[in-house]
Amino acid sequence: MSNYDYNYNIDAKKNMTYDAIVIGSGMSGGWAAKELCEAGLKTLVLERGRIVQHLKDYPNIDKESWDWKLRGGITPAEKKKHYKAIRTNWIGEGNKDLYANDEENPYTEIKPFMWLRAHQMGGRSQLWGRQTYRWSDLDFEANAKDGHGIDWPIRYKDIEPWYTYVEKYIGISGQALGLPQLPDSHFLPPMELNCVEKDVKARIEKNFPGRNMTIGRVAHLTVPHNGRGQCQSRNKCSMGCPFSAFFSSTSVTLPAANATGNMTIRPWSIAHSIIYDEQKGKATGVKVIDAESGEMVEYFAKIIFCNASTLSSTRILLNSTSNRFPNGMGNDSGELGHNLMDHTYRVGAMGVFEGHEDKYYKGRRPNGIYIPRYWNINEETQSDKFVRGFGYQGGAYRAGWGRGGNMDDFGADFKKSLLNDPGPWHFFITGFAECLPYHENKVTLDTDSLDKWGQPTLAIDCEWKDNELALNKQIQEDAVEMLEKSGLKDIIGFDNKHEPGFGIHEMGTARMGKDPKTSVLNAHNQVHGCENVFVTDGACMTSNSCVNPSLTYMALTARAANHAISELKKQNL
Amino acid sequence: MNRRDALKNTALLGGTAALSTSLLGLLQSCQAQARLDWEPQFLSTAQAQLVGALVDTILPTTDTPGALDVNVDVFIDLVFHKMYDEAGQKQVTTEMTTFDEDCQSKFGKVFADLDGEQKTTVLREAEANSPKSGRGVWGMSVEKTEPVGFYRSLKSLAVWAYCSSEEIGKNVLNYDPIPGPYQGCVPLSDVGKVYSL
Repeated sequence: MSNYDYNYNIDAKKNMTYDAIVIGSGMSGGWAAKELCEAGLKTLVLERGRIVQHLKDYPNIDKESWDWKLRGGITPAEKKKHYKAIRTNWIGEGNKDLYANDEENPYTEIKPFMWLRAHQMGGRSQLWGRQTYRWSDLDFEANAKDGHGIDWPIRYKDIEPWYTYVEKYIGISGQALGLPQLPDSHFLPPMELNCVEKDVKARIEKNFPGRNMTIGRVAHLTVPHNGRGQCQSRNKCSMGCPFSAFFSSTSVTLPAANATGNMTIRPWSIAHSIIYDEQKGKATGVKVIDAESGEMVEYFAKIIFCNASTLSSTRILLNSTSNRFPNGMGNDSGELGHNLMDHTYRVGAMGVFEGHEDKYYKGRRPNGIYIPRYWNINEETQSDKFVRGFGYQGGAYRAGWGRGGNMDDFGADFKKSLLNDPGPWHFFITGFAECLPYHENKVTLDTDSLDKWGQPTLAIDCEWKDNELALNKQIQEDAVEMLEKSGLKDIIGFDNKHEPGFGIHEMGTARMGKDPKTSVLNAHNQVHGCENVFVTDGACMTSNSCVNPSLTYMALTARAANHAISELKKQNL
Repeated sequence: MNRRDALKNTALLGGTAALSTSLLGLLQSCQAQARLDWEPQFLSTAQAQLVGALVDTILPTTDTPGALDVNVDVFIDLVFHKMYDEAGQKQVTTEMTTFDEDCQSKFGKVFADLDGEQKTTVLREAEANSPKSGRGVWGMSVEKTEPVGFYRSLKSLAVWAYCSSEEIGKNVLNYDPIPGPYQGCVPLSDVGKVYSL
């Protein structure tokens, strides 16, 4: 049983010097903190927002719609505060405080880009979709094989032990399939498919040899694990899980780091820049703006982990200028800020399934189905229209009372049907396509537009190009065809033409590589030319696969942290 | 008990002085119905009567509570007041006026004053002429559709207000706050009702 401690030491006044500083407490920062603290390093974690104590700081954990005056709806003033992220349609009374204040933290969209931020302890690990997939060598070799971007400095064998390490600790549920393009994790028992999903799976796999449909692989416990409880299908994850059944850094990694006694976490601490010492030739600390007082404070450490989230980490590096790094720390190559990627989003098909009207399900499964990539995985599946590929998420459900507005009736019979008939079964799949790393998809520091603390903001200049659009076209065509051949009715194909950012899988802008001339980080996520700084969040990604990235961030972070610990012991940093 | 029945006979007495001339005219023409036992924050009294009559026709009281029994009209007023922006408020105000004007021109009365059969006629027509909302994926429509118009958006609001109310959500629908491990295939008869959550 793990030892979790939710009473955090936030006193960063006595001590300004630590062994390690971790910037950010989200998905990857939590892992950095845990690994470094467990190795005995006195570690300062900088969090730009408030402390979130697991269970204690989830004010909405037990609320139902009727407990809110507006039943979960929000006012125009609240919408304005979240004017960027409101585009997702996900922000309501129960989770609005988990989304950053867009008015205080503006950014410029040179081209439309939805940048979703979470500015409190735990970051987006409280909001994530919890889908958890390993990458394969198909992904790590992609750039080298088709010539887009630069080669990854690592392969599957380098990260595999760290996937195992992370998975065994956090608990991933799923079904082993033995597919080379989507390696199996160490799985807890899979969640169940519902009866319609089972039928559609059988029909797709019969009609389309080489395609598979499986239950989503998720960071939810289907059995108790490491002192945490099993998922109870409430599907209110972002409001906090009373059973600690899904992984977040606030429920798992940060409490584990804290239990060592080696962690100090400083809330309201905005990392301004990383301090570079020209004589020593390395970083010595972090300049921090106190978000409440506006005061600048400096903290010092032997190593620094930058885990502020993809674009925020890059913003910190761009802001970290010195004689040695006049254009931003680690930017000898000129690639810092470039090669921004995301996954395409909300392209697919949906239809109505006839049958199983006498069946229902029990529980609100916080998960759906997954169809692993099947294009360009071997000689037989090469497309002449695009490189790389896509996977689908989706699921089957009965519409329930949510269909009421569209029903053709009103009055007593209508009400009876609304309350007693869950309505037809719907099934949908929606694709996530890989995006190529383009140098011109980039972020830059915008010194004309400042945030609440007078700091330069980011200007984002990113768009889909021909390959992503060709993938989306195929996603929709294939989705419609699979649904047609599976006997669904009333099928529509869809493409909401969302701009990049909607996938909330932004990656790149400080990529790993073998050559300092073309990359920002080395094979262990160390900044070229300043090797005691590690960047292990989505910024480090050299390509972006088509699968959800969080597991890979966690594995890369654990790997880099253990490399840092070993290098520190050898006095190499 | 039905709070509205209890208040029905006293509502007129206290509020007469504040009634607008148009409402007075309405009351004079139709003494037996259309009064209000609550104070709207956004709607005028006449608009509140329209909304009340609409939701009562869409979700009447039967062996289960109706829309008015769980204050669907009061909640919709709050939604217009707190959740709609200015443009949305203007639009819905215009739509309500148009809706009642149509009833006036057809039947010589506003909707709230129509008899049951006339109300049914009006809503049958509205139902047939209102485009449907697009189907959605993860909280957003993926289907390109015409704007659904006043009737269907009000009906959707009414369904939401009704089903998300504590009385219906907890006691009428199947309320299952902690379902336990997901079961993908159970007989509908075991569940009985539509799920609340």
